[in-house]
Amino acid sequence: MVSLVREAPMDTCVSGQQAQRRAYVTLVLISLFCLAPFFWVLLAAFDPKASQFLRLPDSLTLAHFHNLLTNESGVRWIMNSVVIIGSATVLTLIFAGLGGYALSRTQAWWKRPLLYAIILVRIVPPPALIVPVYKVMLTLNGWMHGFITGLTDDAALQTTLLRMFSFVDGYLGLILIYTALQLPLAIWIMKTFFDAIPKDYEEAAALDGASQWQTLRYVLIPLALPGFAAAGLFAFINAWGDFLMPLMFTSSPELQTLPLGMFRAFLRVDAIDYGFLTALAVIYTLPAVIAFAFARRFLTQTFSGGVKG
Amino acid sequence: MSKIELRGIKKDYQGTEIVKGIDITIEEGEFAVIVGPSGCGKSTLLRMIAGLEDISSGELVMGGKVMNMVPPDQREIAMVFQSYALYPHMTVADNIGFALSLKKVPKEEIAKRVKDVAKMLELEHLLERKPAALSGGQRQRVAIGRAIVKRPKVILFDEPLSNLDAKLRVQMRAELTKLHREFGSTIVYVTHDQVEAMTMAQKIVVLHNGHVAQMGAPLDLYHQPDNTFVAQFIGVPKMNLVKGRLQNGLFTLPCGEQVQLDSGYGSAAELQLGVRPEHLQIVRGGAGWEVDLVERLGVETFIHLHCQTQEQLVVRQEGDCQYEVGEKVALTFAQDRCFLFETDGKRRLPAVAVAAAC
Ligand SMILES: Nc1ncnc2c1ncn2[C@@H]1O[C@H](COP(=O)(O)OP(=O)(O)OP(=O)(O)O)[C@@H](O)[C@H]1O
Ligand SMILES: [Mg+2]
Repeated sequence: MVSLVREAPMDTCVSGQQAQRRAYVTLVLISLFCLAPFFWVLLAAFDPKASQFLRLPDSLTLAHFHNLLTNESGVRWIMNSVVIIGSATVLTLIFAGLGGYALSRTQAWWKRPLLYAIILVRIVPPPALIVPVYKVMLTLNGWMHGFITGLTDDAALQTTLLRMFSFVDGYLGLILIYTALQLPLAIWIMKTFFDAIPKDYEEAAALDGASQWQTLRYVLIPLALPGFAAAGLFAFINAWGDFLMPLMFTSSPELQTLPLGMFRAFLRVDAIDYGFLTALAVIYTLPAVIAFAFARRFLTQTFSGGVKG
Repeated sequence: MSKIELRGIKKDYQGTEIVKGIDITIEEGEFAVIVGPSGCGKSTLLRMIAGLEDISSGELVMGGKVMNMVPPDQREIAMVFQSYALYPHMTVADNIGFALSLKKVPKEEIAKRVKDVAKMLELEHLLERKPAALSGGQRQRVAIGRAIVKRPKVILFDEPLSNLDAKLRVQMRAELTKLHREFGSTIVYVTHDQVEAMTMAQKIVVLHNGHVAQMGAPLDLYHQPDNTFVAQFIGVPKMNLVKGRLQNGLFTLPCGEQVQLDSGYGSAAELQLGVRPEHLQIVRGGAGWEVDLVERLGVETFIHLHCQTQEQLVVRQEGDCQYEVGEKVALTFAQDRCFLFETDGKRRLPAVAVAAAC
């Protein structure tokens, strides 16, 4: 479009410039329309008199955030989300690292079938999985329940342990589900990444006297950091945005995650508190942004020059 | 401790045999060079010694111990890879010191030994750089430094000089020879360049299609090649080979040219005569051969000739010689420097054997 205008002959130049201006105006309008909701969220979160209309606040306040973090269970929701999704991301990275490496290096006949099977898991929409998964989790939960109640008689300790290790209505269940859901994509990312790391480095490390573990620790993981960053970022952001799993697998208010808290706050019958909701939205967005900023450092890091040719 | 013996070593990939039964003994402290054309299995053989590749059958013995199943990190071997394989995320100093840090050598000692090695290889000013910021020759030296810093008993080299320019290659050849003298490690060095083999080796193993074509001291291979492959592989330009008939010690080329050989040779129907370019003399003003091409290098001149029946020969003359293309000349053969091979090239005929066979 732009180059067309530039190459236009002299006599059509004026009308060409006009066309260009019109195009830019249109683009700006569309952008504004798209960005308006984000501006509204950002402004309303700091506006003492937040309403459903986009407006410049008369003054700025942190009252909504204060309210969210003290009067409401905001801190608890954030903690729940961070613990669950953080653990799931770490687990995903560990399994994806090991699995991706193995799948990259193996020459076995089942390599391709397995790779496609893995991605196939991802094709099934998660809601379709919920019923069977729920059944499995419920069974496992029964065993875990028996195990924990048999472990101690201390009621308070029992409650804590149950909250952490229950498959249904507990951290462990959600962590495992998120790990399972994020793993396929992460394995593919890591497999592709390891494919690009020549085997020579591992062989050089072996001849330098490195054990398998040392090769992993000092050579492979540092070289695969950009891959881990990409896989981790996808896993984190995907799971962070999920709403369905905590809805299905938790019931206690103590286990509520951020999106669930937001949803319930939205549904309250009394007047909608826009300031509170927008503050919640800002806080909800923040970790994803932080995760991206953190991963970006590694994403752009590429290594070269180790092997010739 | 570091004597290496290969006994009937074989390697096959999914049924295709790449290395077809190799027996080599490399003495402690010896500089052995394995040469052969591309794809003949040199790297595969070296990787089996290093433990990076399984040995399909046969025995690898090092220091009196069978090493077939010993993992590479326990073989006390260092290797310089064909691809260098420097760790790209580590500085030059870390690359060189990596093996030592794995062995939990104290930091100060690592620093000292890395410095010593860097000094020897003239890398001191590059220690803080990453491999990406090095030239090919510098990477090469880092790879060598990484191998020698452990003071290993055995060092394996896989075509380490193949990516360097001619000048640097000459320099590195001298460095490697010096290094071997100083360290006294057993060295197994793989290359496809016979000049590297001739200049550095104490023992050369010529590999051809997964077999040992011949092994021995460099000049033994030059003077006593067992077969036409070795005869043509060692020496530049390669040895001339012409088919012909032998009768009473007189070898007759198809074009009628006759070469008088030692009388020890008898008679045989079909044979090949081998003679190196430096053992031919051109006689000006003669007839029988026509000049095709003249390559004048200053110190020497290579003259390509052919006769009526299209046999071709290359002659090397000392100094700068002027010949016209199309000029007719005659040749004299240094009769004690001619070799006779069977027509399939697999065997050189000793003078007496031919006499006996006929
Ligand atoms: N993993 C493998 N699977 C099947 N064939 C292989 C494998 N690795 C090597 N080969 C074959 O083995 C033969 C010898 O390979 P090798 O790398 O040892 O050659 P080389 O002598 O080192 O050659 P170059 O001088 O080109 O490095 C080649 O024909 C190659 O195609
Ligand atoms: Mg090779």
